[in-house]
Amino acid sequence: MAAEALLEVEGVVKRFGGIHAVDGASFTVDAGSVTALIGPNGAGKTTLFNVVTGFDPADAGSVRFDGEEVAHLGAHRIARRGMVRTFQLTRALAAMPVIDNMMLAAPDQPGERLLNVLLRPGAVRAREREITEEAMELLEVFGLREKADDYAGTLSGGQRKLLELARALMARPRMLLLDEPMAGINPTLGRRLLDHIQRLRKEEGVTFLFVEHDMEVVMNHSDRVIVMAEGRVIAAGEPHEVRADQAVVDAYLGTPA
Amino acid sequence: MTLPLELPLAFTLEAFTNVGFWSGVLVTAGIYAVVTLGLQLNVGYTGIVNFGQAGFMAVGGYTMAILVLEAGLSFWLAMPLAVLVTMAFGVLIGLPSLRLRTDYFAIVTLAMAEVVRLAAQNAQGLTGGNKGLYCNFEGVNQTCFDEAWQSVNDSILGWVEGFWPDVDPLLPLLLVVWATVVIGIVALNYIQRTPWGRVLRAVREDEDAARALGKNTLLYKLQSLAISAVLGALAGFYLALFLTTIQPDDYEPIVTFFAFGVLILGGLASYTGVAIGAVLLWTLLEGMRFVELPISEERTAALRFALVGLVLILLMAFRPQGIFGKREEMVLGR
Repeated sequence: MAAEALLEVEGVVKRFGGIHAVDGASFTVDAGSVTALIGPNGAGKTTLFNVVTGFDPADAGSVRFDGEEVAHLGAHRIARRGMVRTFQLTRALAAMPVIDNMMLAAPDQPGERLLNVLLRPGAVRAREREITEEAMELLEVFGLREKADDYAGTLSGGQRKLLELARALMARPRMLLLDEPMAGINPTLGRRLLDHIQRLRKEEGVTFLFVEHDMEVVMNHSDRVIVMAEGRVIAAGEPHEVRADQAVVDAYLGTPA
Repeated sequence: MTLPLELPLAFTLEAFTNVGFWSGVLVTAGIYAVVTLGLQLNVGYTGIVNFGQAGFMAVGGYTMAILVLEAGLSFWLAMPLAVLVTMAFGVLIGLPSLRLRTDYFAIVTLAMAEVVRLAAQNAQGLTGGNKGLYCNFEGVNQTCFDEAWQSVNDSILGWVEGFWPDVDPLLPLLLVVWATVVIGIVALNYIQRTPWGRVLRAVREDEDAARALGKNTLLYKLQSLAISAVLGALAGFYLALFLTTIQPDDYEPIVTFFAFGVLILGGLASYTGVAIGAVLLWTLLEGMRFVELPISEERTAALRFALVGLVLILLMAFRPQGIFGKREEMVLGR
């Protein structure tokens, strides 16, 4: 199957002082795939995420999303084009109700402009009703419907991860970048999160790129694996290929005892 | 409980039955409520700490007076123009500085307000320096920046005196100021509940999360600051009309810090709290003038401010959310 590349990263460099956090990383992510990004701590995975999603400007290199250069765009513009990220430490908007967290993410709400609030209150309310419905449906899917009116800060760690994924989906992304989605949540919730990812890929055609340390999850749930070490991509391929790659074994996986 | 009659801490309640006392307190409180509504929008709902409200008041007040006295514009035209100038000034200040971290932004705004005040002190040709602005004298003709207001003021008073002979002369200003407060509270509460307000709160909670969801957070912070600047300008007009003069000393940083006192007293994230907080703070501040202590007057004056500080400290210790603030939002926000 000759899939098209949705994300193309080429020669990206990001320096912090003298440290090359990302040092010429290149890789592609195919449309509709679930791709894992692995590597030892300090390999530059999170920095790469930050650069790709516009949170840290790249010092060199190019990032193309859907064929268009996005490296110079601000984070909010990249998100609007459909590449949405989550964070390693969940960023639930704690002092806002769960439902507001969800509704915030919806695109095309004219009421986010003050002028429309004053001049087109009808259109704002109509869109608000649509968004509420959509948000409640998603919360239902993620088992958070009962929590809709609670402050997001009262949710458990695992529920916050689910909320963050559900919220990212409200933004109608074509590609989701998840930074350690499984970290700090119990296996049952983790299982559900993975099911959601597979379902979304199948039903909605969402492309996933996720950072993960759990090799079990990486090997069983991704189509492709990208391996980083010391700011560079040292291997990329299907899980079984990567597992057999000597460079990867040396840098990260280690020899099975 | 019986109190000894010769209490050294005598307290004359006469002041509190005096109409003049209350009209003064309420006009001042109303002016502070208008300024602090802007702070509430910034600090309570956007998460940006603006220490420059006194600067926006000065820009508004001076621009209005200069347009009337130097450019010869009508007072009623000068006011909207001065509002626009202050708003543009806020955007100009915010554009580079709102990209900074909250604490650095706070320092920039404080510096901005001082630059404005010092400029007003020194640009004597335009601002009259320390003497300030009131009237221009050309031969026998004099023009004052508040002439138009004074004539409206007098006709209102003339009409009211028909059925209320000893009406307080501050009544018209009091009505205008408090009408602004009420309209401000209603309007701000309204926009706060819209999707626009939701984005603003998201910026307060976690700017990066808002950006990751496609929100142009800088734009929202700029709008928040611009609205705050407008409220500052309005308060600047009212203060000028109340004092019937505009002097650099009226816009010292202490003005901004009193407004923060109002904000803390009323509670974060409540516009109604701002109005209540303003009345309480100024009743407290002015009321303490009448506490008779066996110490010199300067010391009593200093003690007033110390007591306000004490009240704020106690509030932070026992009710950090203020009178109307939501405790959950404070605890969960962190």
